[in-house]
Amino acid sequence: MAENKPIIHVEHISKQFGVHTVLRDISLDVMPGEVVVVIGPSGSGKSTFLRCLNQLEKVNSGRIRVNGFEISDPNTDINQARRHIGMVFQHFNLFQNMTVLRNITVTPVDLKIMGKEEADELALRLLNRVGLGDRGNAYPDQLSGGQKQRVAIARALAMAPMVMLFDEPTSALDPEMVNEVLEVMKELSNSGITMVVVTHEMGFAREVADRVIFMDDGIILEQGTAEEVLDHPKSSRTRDFLGKVL
Amino acid sequence: MISIIQTYYKMLLMAMGNTLLLTLLSLIMAMVIGLIFALCNVGHSRFFRMIGTVYVDAIRGVPLIVLAFFIYFGIPQGIKMLGYEFRLTPLQAGIVALAMNCGAYMAEIFRAGIESIDHGQMEAARSLGMSYARAMYRVVLPQAFRVMIPSIINQFIITLKDTSILSVIGFPELTNTGRTITGNTFRSLETWTIVGFMYLVVIILLSKSAKVLERRLKHGRK
Repeated sequence: MAENKPIIHVEHISKQFGVHTVLRDISLDVMPGEVVVVIGPSGSGKSTFLRCLNQLEKVNSGRIRVNGFEISDPNTDINQARRHIGMVFQHFNLFQNMTVLRNITVTPVDLKIMGKEEADELALRLLNRVGLGDRGNAYPDQLSGGQKQRVAIARALAMAPMVMLFDEPTSALDPEMVNEVLEVMKELSNSGITMVVVTHEMGFAREVADRVIFMDDGIILEQGTAEEVLDHPKSSRTRDFLGKVL
Repeated sequence: MISIIQTYYKMLLMAMGNTLLLTLLSLIMAMVIGLIFALCNVGHSRFFRMIGTVYVDAIRGVPLIVLAFFIYFGIPQGIKMLGYEFRLTPLQAGIVALAMNCGAYMAEIFRAGIESIDHGQMEAARSLGMSYARAMYRVVLPQAFRVMIPSIINQFIITLKDTSILSVIGFPELTNTGRTITGNTFRSLETWTIVGFMYLVVIILLSKSAKVLERRLKHGRK
């Protein structure tokens, strides 16, 4: 893929839940390797927006292309498209019935992307990368929240995604565990992978984001570098929000 | 009492075996039926949800004995009217009737089990690229199954007792055999005491071993 072509292309998407409109005519391009941090008050539609990018939510109108796949086209093989879009959830969602290692290997082995031995090796490498090389045989409920989230990141990485989506990855964590997850995400951002991160961690946004997007009431109200959006917000809504969270 | 046991113990044990056979075969079928209709009920298709609902409501709304009569006497007659010869043995009809009946309750147990699993499990599996079916099979059902074990065992016991209803279509299970023995000996008190005791022993053994299994599954890992 050419360096100057967006890897995520979002064109005029709208999303309603019943009579409630969550996303209003949003457009956005994300370039390969870019780290985009999405902030905004709860209910602003930022999580829904993220979930539309791998079609966990279907848009009502508009067009989404990720990594060459027309996500919003009903004829697209969505399972194929999702293989290259990793997602990390607020509540980790590790498979409770499997060991940590199996959590990571089950999908690549089942989908015949690699053999079991190769997958085990890869899983071990990824676990080492997130600092959990010795926990492969543990079950999710034996891990702390921070450890669970690091396993969840490793699980997503095992599919060799081009894009990683993070849906408030540290919001369900005890404060002392937030940093271990953010450290892993920082390391990841240096690896050249494209990331879209919905978060309330302004420090992370400042340090890692190439671009910060402020969403409010279903639209992108403001975007720019962390400095532009966080330090010199143009709209009063952004200033209000930042005043409350900073 | 001793004399009845001495004379009829072979017959009684055989009858117990028949009861267990009937229970086991219909349970296996009921699990399959239950899983199919439960998957109909938790799916997104309105059409399949309707099929699931109609099945469960229809079966639960008809007494087992009526269902058994319908399958054993009604269906062969209906097919005969179409000009074909068709007969069911009491065992075949009994299994079908029990399986259909128990399947409806199993469907509800499976549905509740599946719905008790956090939706995030399905979402995580789908987000990695698994199909709905694979995510169900790999992630959701194994977890749901563990939740369902007590209810499944409970249903197991109910079905075991329900086999007695099928004595009316002439399959020589335990209750039917009890009727044969009282017919021969006119000693109801002793016969039904023995028959009742036999059910009791099997069911207690079953529920105790189920408890052990349940505990093991809860603590150990698959």
